[in-house]
Amino acid sequence: MNTPAGPADRLVILGVAESDAHAVANQLITMQLQSHGFTVLNLGVCTPLSDFADAHDRHPHAEAVLIGSLNGHAHQDLRTLPELRAAGRLRCPVIVGGNLSVGSRKAGTDRQRLLDLGVDHLLADAGGLVLLLDMLHAARAAELQHG
Amino acid sequence: MAELHGLQLDDRIAAELPDWEAIVAHLRTRRPVAEVLRQAAAGGRPLVQPRCGVGGHREMVELLRALEPAGPGVLSVTIDSHTRLRHFDTAAELLARNPADLNGYPLVAHGWQRGRELAAAVDVPLEVRHGSPDGRELFAVALAAGLTSYEGGGIGYNLPYSKNVPLGHSLRAWQQVDAVCGVLAAEGVLIDRELFGTLTAVLVPPSVSLAVTVLEAVAAAREGVRCLSIAYPQGGEIHQDVAALRAVRTLAARYLDPGIEVHPVLHEFMGVFPRTRSYADLLILHGGLLARLGGATKVISKTHQEAYGIPDAEANADGIRTAALGACELLDFVRIDEDRVSEEQHWIEREVAELVDPVLNEPALLPAIEAAFAAGRLDIPFSASVHAHSRVVPRRDACGAIRYAGVGALPFSAAVLRRHADLLAPAPGARERSPFEAATADIRYFLDNEDRFHSSTPHRTRSEPPQRF
Repeated sequence: MNTPAGPADRLVILGVAESDAHAVANQLITMQLQSHGFTVLNLGVCTPLSDFADAHDRHPHAEAVLIGSLNGHAHQDLRTLPELRAAGRLRCPVIVGGNLSVGSRKAGTDRQRLLDLGVDHLLADAGGLVLLLDMLHAARAAELQHG
Repeated sequence: MAELHGLQLDDRIAAELPDWEAIVAHLRTRRPVAEVLRQAAAGGRPLVQPRCGVGGHREMVELLRALEPAGPGVLSVTIDSHTRLRHFDTAAELLARNPADLNGYPLVAHGWQRGRELAAAVDVPLEVRHGSPDGRELFAVALAAGLTSYEGGGIGYNLPYSKNVPLGHSLRAWQQVDAVCGVLAAEGVLIDRELFGTLTAVLVPPSVSLAVTVLEAVAAAREGVRCLSIAYPQGGEIHQDVAALRAVRTLAARYLDPGIEVHPVLHEFMGVFPRTRSYADLLILHGGLLARLGGATKVISKTHQEAYGIPDAEANADGIRTAALGACELLDFVRIDEDRVSEEQHWIEREVAELVDPVLNEPALLPAIEAAFAAGRLDIPFSASVHAHSRVVPRRDACGAIRYAGVGALPFSAAVLRRHADLLAPAPGARERSPFEAATADIRYFLDNEDRFHSSTPHRTRSEPPQRF
């Protein structure tokens, strides 16, 4: 929805999962990432996974796709990730954050079944997001140097 | 498209419904929510209603039965988000595969017959709570189920809940819902229509909330709706919150026909919730007290599990009792600084008038609302939808009240703008905060209060350290 100016070398694609309309954290994360120098392509709320894939096709240099899900429907909303990956799409770290299942008592299985879909990283709090992106960035740079 | 008394519906869903006369005949047998609200208003003490909805039918019946003994005046059927967005097939698939994956009750997938079973399972009447920009099919199924209270409106159930549904579409969908309520009212069947002034639920300035619900109320009244519940979200500063709840009645008197029943409703704090049980319970109790002081007819309760997701039945029942305790006689000695409330209320009413009067003076209301949002003359903070500018920047003042740090294109007078600027003026020598820092601190308001409380208490409640995610 908005692509404000920033150093073009660190682009991330951000959005909220398909059945979820929670906009506040999405807008705060945009502000936070921008303040750390990222360019944020924010697809906004209620974004189908195919729209994330389309955005990544258009911006293949994006460092990561960040998907927020606060309504507990993450597994259902991301269920087509294996198909998209099999078709060679979304080949970048997919990071999912928020409240990842229905109910207030969380089980390890809720996390595991998202990882089984192919989600690369799960965050319950946006506080660690910049650190994770920096680590992934550094790892990728090292890979390019030595690999 | 099929039609039920002017309500245009998906053919497949319409085909399943009983005919209109049968729907009306069944509605007449139900005790209407409107009657329960009228009794609570006459009694001077708010009734309590929880949010509650689970995917499976048997589980939903059990949940309602588990909550009824806690003494709610109304119970909710909270609908899952797939149904809200009219993804009825997805909701039905999930229901067949794993109902526990649904974050609410998929009433359309279950069908009206099961809706009647829900209503029959408890003595307390039910309200459908959801978040549908276009809730026509869900409304038709709810009516057929005999449910007499339906939440939502063309602005408040669009902008916070969907990305790209034009306001013209949602306003006209809800106009059809309201018109059916008008037809029913004329036949003596009163449907309570609750308007969701809570919007995106975080740092909503009172005049933004009330401007939206006043416009939706006027639109509903023009279609013949005779019972309106107008909801306002607790912001956290008690004088401002009491003033906003009281303004619901004064604004209704100014803008609506006096024959229409209007009930102020408090939504207990909807933002980032305290993480410890003790402080969460305090905030829930505080909401009950606020509802009583503000003259609310109803208070929607929260639970001590709010910070962690959808609560279990036990926590939800506890939340109902705690909110009711806040509104009970034992706290009737609590008075509020009436001068401070009056001053807040004066300014809230003035701001609402500055927002809604230009829109109401236009010849056609719905196009005028659409045009005002397109121009930013109406706006909400943190909009999920692209159809609001979201240029309103809310900020807490030194007392915690929610003020405007930015108004975008809202047409406020110089006096209003000056007041907000004065109230937000930084203390001399204070460090300038970035917009991100200010927004984060304001959103974490009760978390920070909770942390300060727990770290300053000599005996420290070590059994429940503030958890972090």
